[in-house]
Amino acid sequence: MTESEKKSDKSAEISRRAFLGTSAGAAAASLLGNNKSANAQTAKSADRTDLPGQSAEAAERDVGGAQPPADIRAAQRPGSDLMVQVLRDLEIEYIAANPAASFEGLQESIINYGDTPNEMPEFISALHEESSVDMAHGYAKSEGRPMAVLLHGTLGLMHSAMAIYQAYQYQSPILLIAGRDDTNFLRSQSADDIAGIVRSFTKWDAHPKNLADALAAIQEAYRQAITPPCGPALVVLDTELQKEEAGDMLVPTYVPPKITGISNRDAKAVAKALVDAKNPRIAVGKLRTPRGVDDAVELAVLVGASTSTRAVIVPMSFPQRHPLCGPGSDTDYDYTLGLETAGVEAAIIGPHRRSIEGRDETGIGYGFIREPPTPVWGPYKPPKPGKNDMHADAEASLPAIIAEAKTLLSPAQENTIAARSKNHAVANHAAAVEALEKALEARRRGWNDSPISLARLYAELWILIKDEDWCLASPTQFSSGHNRVLWDHNKPYSHLGMHGAGGIGYCIGASTGAALAAKHRDRIVINIQCDGDLNMVPGALWTAAHYRLPMLVVMHNNRAWHQEYMYAQYMAGVRGRGGDRAHIGTTLRDPYINYAKMGEAYGVESEGPISDPSKLMAALKRGVDAVKDGRPYLIDVLTQPR
Amino acid sequence: MKILRILLVIVLLQNVHAQDLGGDVEKGEQLYYNFACYSCHGYNATMRVPLVGNASGIMSSEQVFLTYLRLRADQNPTNPKNAMPNYAASTLSDEQALDIYAYIKSVKDESPEVEDNPVMQEMLDAAKARSPGDAR
Repeated sequence: MTESEKKSDKSAEISRRAFLGTSAGAAAASLLGNNKSANAQTAKSADRTDLPGQSAEAAERDVGGAQPPADIRAAQRPGSDLMVQVLRDLEIEYIAANPAASFEGLQESIINYGDTPNEMPEFISALHEESSVDMAHGYAKSEGRPMAVLLHGTLGLMHSAMAIYQAYQYQSPILLIAGRDDTNFLRSQSADDIAGIVRSFTKWDAHPKNLADALAAIQEAYRQAITPPCGPALVVLDTELQKEEAGDMLVPTYVPPKITGISNRDAKAVAKALVDAKNPRIAVGKLRTPRGVDDAVELAVLVGASTSTRAVIVPMSFPQRHPLCGPGSDTDYDYTLGLETAGVEAAIIGPHRRSIEGRDETGIGYGFIREPPTPVWGPYKPPKPGKNDMHADAEASLPAIIAEAKTLLSPAQENTIAARSKNHAVANHAAAVEALEKALEARRRGWNDSPISLARLYAELWILIKDEDWCLASPTQFSSGHNRVLWDHNKPYSHLGMHGAGGIGYCIGASTGAALAAKHRDRIVINIQCDGDLNMVPGALWTAAHYRLPMLVVMHNNRAWHQEYMYAQYMAGVRGRGGDRAHIGTTLRDPYINYAKMGEAYGVESEGPISDPSKLMAALKRGVDAVKDGRPYLIDVLTQPR
Repeated sequence: MKILRILLVIVLLQNVHAQDLGGDVEKGEQLYYNFACYSCHGYNATMRVPLVGNASGIMSSEQVFLTYLRLRADQNPTNPKNAMPNYAASTLSDEQALDIYAYIKSVKDESPEVEDNPVMQEMLDAAKARSPGDAR
């Protein structure tokens, strides 16, 4: 061995020892005969017994010197296996988590139970609980159904609180499971009612006291999450339930919820009005699932109605470039039906989160007990009640309306509808071309500027993805939302909309969740990533790299929390003190952050910063090629502020 | 008071003369950055609320530019009327403002027309070529 090799070997040994000397490896170090290290840890743990709120057992466990009781380890059919079977029956595709000591039983079952371990659900390693929930939020928006998240007691719930809050505001279904352990080791990380931390902004929660109730509670949480108003629902599972012997207990059969649509009488009336109308129109808001979108299209085609859509700002709306989508050939509509949005003659609008009673008894407003100050670019803005509203879920109402319309249509009406639809298609096509011409003229200015124009970024990216199956997962209001007029949003998941409550840090996690959904569906995910947002929880990049997720991260790097920069600038002006110091506390200068290096640090192929617009297209193409190949890719682009 | 202000603007606009005093472009570029004009107008005065070329009437003359800044500054500070920040003379002198004006005037927008922009033209061609019955 050469000196160099000896030195290298020694470094490796030191590194290994250093690793084993950490708390997580103390037990292993003891087994390897590293008694000095183990003793040192013991002494340290002895000192910590005096800490308030932490038992000697907890301290011992924190340093790795304690193991679960032998009888727990000896369970032949642990309760957590049955919990996983419940999740499998619900076809939960993923469950995201930071590993934690309050759900080790459940985690072990996820990765080892059954003939297809770690499938349905697959355990997804996240680096922060906020990211875990954001992933589930992005997945839910993309697929219209929940994935699950595992959270660790009080601490994990608090880490995840903002993300849960945003999912609640957006009415996104998520199955939350929180581990709880206050009987053995982790009293300082527990509480009697840990669900209370997030009760004001979850739809439902339960803390079952036996295994049978726990299995039923998981199923009920799923039902609650997907029943409108959708939202995150939480089950607290004690560690003892996860580890107890299930014996011959059976997994209960899942009974899906009955989601109520409008009455048959109302369905007949709506169908008749649509069929009899000479120029019907259907306004489509945000439906719940892709099935609802399909049904909305079927109804519009069936009755030859021109439609409006919110697909450019929310998921699960009418395809933007469908021939019937647009003003139509005649804007003098004689019957307008709203689906989860306002309609003139009729609107079918499902229950909103504010209808969830008893969850916000303090009245602090999480549940919008008070009238919400919904921002103009806000998440899901429920329409104001109209006199012709029918309060039922629109998606659940569509099959009955379609069935009634089919029975009502005469051959003569079908011919009329065919002709009308053709006229609508021609008019809508012309309107779309005209709108694009105007949009391009408005956006050509500054095309060759450096830093790079965001309009150019969106335009060049569109050229590369327009023939792919894509999902724009990031909110776009901070990057001026050029996709709304330059791109075609034709899929239920084309654009996943806003944060939920404007909470920064959402974007990278939600995009990662959308990429989890996309991974097995031959889809790519686009994330126009704000720099301030990425700095909140950059660890999601590692998750994307680890699971080879098809996510293209294009940095909207304006080196600032730009909204706040403008606020500070404005406030200085109002007070007559000038705007030349508004950058203090609002910009990311000195030093500039290198996002390509950040991406590389987490294992994501990265390049940039790119400030020369002539080099942008080639970089974007490298990125799109990478994600089509199943590899996440990050491009740091120095952009104009907005 | 509001009517008086509007009349003042009208009078000023009617008396526009190409008698720009000629601020310092180099200083103006730095001031444009320091006072964060770029935050709304872009680094090259081409974005969002563009000022370059003939994009904005505010840039029709130095006097109009100055008047607009000062009118903004004189507005009720507790009830701002639009997103343009206030710039009183006490925080941005006339000389500095005219330097900024000179810088903005010096910027040339060399953006290609839509028909000369291959990316935009491809987008437009694709939209036109889409069959009215194609719901791709």
